Amino acid sequence: MELELLLKKYFGFSFFKIGQKEVISSLLNGEHTLAMLPTGTGKSLCYQLPGYILEGQILIISPLLSLMQDQVEQMKRFGEKRVVALNSFLSVEEKDYALKFLTKYKFIFISPEMLRIPYIIKRLQSLSISLFVVDEAHCISQWGYDFRPDYSKLGEIRNALGNPLTLALTATATAKVRQDIVQSLRLNKVKKIESSIDRPNIGLYVEKVPDYREKEERVLELAAKLKKPGIIYFSSKKAAEHMAEMLINKQICRASAYHGGMEQDARILIQQQFIHDQLDIICATSAFGMGVNKENIRFVIHYHMPMQIESYLQEIGRAGRDGKPSIAILLYSPGDEQLPIQLSESELPSNQQIDWLFNKTDLYIGRNFGEGQLAETLKELGGFSEVQWRIVEELVNRPPQDVKSPQHLKEMIQDFVEHRLQAKKANIFRMKQWIDAKTCRRKFMMEYFDDRSNTVVTPCCDQCGLVIEPYYQSVSRRHFSTSESSWKDYLIKLLNNSGLSK
Amino acid sequence: MAQLESIILYCLKQLNKERTVYSIYHLLNGKKSSQTIQDAHLFNLKKFFGIMDVLTRETFNQRIETLLNQKLIYKVKDQTFFPTPSGDLFLKNNPLLRELNGWEFHQLSTLFWERLSLLIQVASNFEYHETNYVPIQKNKDVHIWLKSTLKDMKVSKNKMASQIYAELLDCFSENKGLDPSVLVYRLTGYQQIGLTGTQLAQKLSMSYYDYYLQFVHIIHFMMETLRVNPDRFPVLSFLYNGLIKSNELTQSSKKTWQLLTKGYSLEHIAQIRQLKLSTIEDHLVEIALNIDRFSIHEYVDPNLQDEILRSSKSAGSRQLKLIKAMVTRASYFQIRLVLAKFGDKAWS
Repeated sequence: MELELLLKKYFGFSFFKIGQKEVISSLLNGEHTLAMLPTGTGKSLCYQLPGYILEGQILIISPLLSLMQDQVEQMKRFGEKRVVALNSFLSVEEKDYALKFLTKYKFIFISPEMLRIPYIIKRLQSLSISLFVVDEAHCISQWGYDFRPDYSKLGEIRNALGNPLTLALTATATAKVRQDIVQSLRLNKVKKIESSIDRPNIGLYVEKVPDYREKEERVLELAAKLKKPGIIYFSSKKAAEHMAEMLINKQICRASAYHGGMEQDARILIQQQFIHDQLDIICATSAFGMGVNKENIRFVIHYHMPMQIESYLQEIGRAGRDGKPSIAILLYSPGDEQLPIQLSESELPSNQQIDWLFNKTDLYIGRNFGEGQLAETLKELGGFSEVQWRIVEELVNRPPQDVKSPQHLKEMIQDFVEHRLQAKKANIFRMKQWIDAKTCRRKFMMEYFDDRSNTVVTPCCDQCGLVIEPYYQSVSRRHFSTSESSWKDYLIKLLNNSGLSK
Repeated sequence: MAQLESIILYCLKQLNKERTVYSIYHLLNGKKSSQTIQDAHLFNLKKFFGIMDVLTRETFNQRIETLLNQKLIYKVKDQTFFPTPSGDLFLKNNPLLRELNGWEFHQLSTLFWERLSLLIQVASNFEYHETNYVPIQKNKDVHIWLKSTLKDMKVSKNKMASQIYAELLDCFSENKGLDPSVLVYRLTGYQQIGLTGTQLAQKLSMSYYDYYLQFVHIIHFMMETLRVNPDRFPVLSFLYNGLIKSNELTQSSKKTWQLLTKGYSLEHIAQIRQLKLSTIEDHLVEIALNIDRFSIHEYVDPNLQDEILRSSKSAGSRQLKLIKAMVTRASYFQIRLVLAKFGDKAWS
């Protein structure tokens, strides 16, 4: 059957988005494929559609639990029931059930840490896996901004599963990272499909402001003037909350904060309010955006600079998915780079923490070197954050084979941390260079990703003469409803389809 | 609006200078300690138990500070306060939320709310023939509950939403003093996403804590109404079905209770658990408060039980010292045990 017909039948779309068809055709030709597609172009379709053609199961490795959960729910909503997510959210009974009836599922999502469990590998080996999908494949590379030690073992696992046909997906990876992906997954021959990372309908704009006070003023002004809806990104929860409060109190627009420190219930509601146009602006940390499919976002403002160009691209990529003109604005004041530097240091265990840990005699609970588990209590005692602990745990519980003694392991970890810190600082430095660029910002960004596509975009960026005014709303609209409906009206509207006409 | 202040004033009155102000904080937080559980019974404050697990110590301290500055309470001794006459007046002008029932409902109200909000969302989308929407509740147990409950309901699917509407109105009409706004605007349905608690507090110009109490209040009110009249609410009563409160024993008391049911003596239990006898006695008091089938005859002779209860009544106090002075042959442990077992009946 023609691919377009399948697309219509299973997904209801008439056309493929950029890159999708190429990826699918390559896979159906039996070629291992590395696909770099921009955010918001429907990467998941690239493995879902082949699932309806290929015999056997599709195994999808995904590092982000919440995103995995979203995808599974979404597939179920669209009528695909043969889908399961194997991750730590499952209860023991659910896990047992899923593993027992694994063959019933067509699409199996799994988190990398589950792949450490020998029994699970055994179960997977009993299946016939027709497609091995690595989502967010840039996590494989030490050079990537989001390196996950677990991911570096995927090559081994792929091998254990008999080297099935493989699809590596990423939105943002430099040439070096892409090379790492191919090597690490042991793909001897691979078809690379790299659609341009450029999003021509998003204008790029950097504005320098003298200090944070003026920055605040400027954000308020932009929030009032720009066409909405929009997202304002912050590196700190407090700053996001503070700005949301100001936007509400000054009655500039309907706004809310969103960050990982909020209750899950509230997070879901706010995300949904935004999607349903009940909010104009979200003041968010990077926790916001994954799995948010909203087409009409008109601007993304960065109040703080992100830690690397990859994140920046991903975050601004949430604007303008409907293809209409949208703008990405980054506000910079002198010294702003200190915050990401601090953040990157706090994401890694410090030398003192590592020393402290290795001075503990009961590092492993009653086992020989390399065989035990780190005691969970050490996390709190050593003052390790969640991110720091993930790194320590991963390296200590499963030390590389050539590491033979605690002393050796300690040095290895210290080297690792040093190495990561340098990579992170280099990323921040590149980001800063982009901010300071005196030439076309779009070109700079595309060169960073070795993207050689030759598109001429107007309006392009502030360096190419882009001005901000066209992105303002023509009439100032305020959404504060004047006619307050009573709770009874609200309830009628919810529960009575013809309630409004009555 | 000054619900939290009213509750604090009321609690201070009930505590009658016999406890520090932090026992109120622990009470509102629903702290699972012998002391807090006993206090809730002893001073008749069960309805406030665990109604504000969101309250931080910092905020609590601020409120106490404010009450002091406004001269609504005065300091008796360190960390112990009592309402002033203007405090009494304040309490009169700002009456308590009548329907709160923390002891019965605090563990269950979250689950009840999750069920209610998911039911409404599903019914609303059903009413509008929409099948593609994001559930606002992630709790899988609630999804499973709804799935099986929808099968048990004897209402046809296309009448579901209007039936729920009618039942909600009927339920709210039971108590005219309640403002259903604090709940209704949080509901999500077809093309309409509910507000978060913080957003609604803002919309209603309330402080977050006052809003929170109002919300808990209306939830408790609904739970009670549905519990008492299941027949009148054929659909909504399902929300309350099967919500069973587990007992409030602390972990440590649970262990003692297990050993007790195996027939071990108190001394033996203390030995096994390497705890002081007085600690085991504390556990017994807690067990007496929580487990109806626990008999105290073995520890207090029935005649002595009577004597203690009568003395407590005639002294008009639950102060152990006073009772002890009247019933000299009883130990403090025995007095506490009797008050725990029968305290409510003796006093209400």
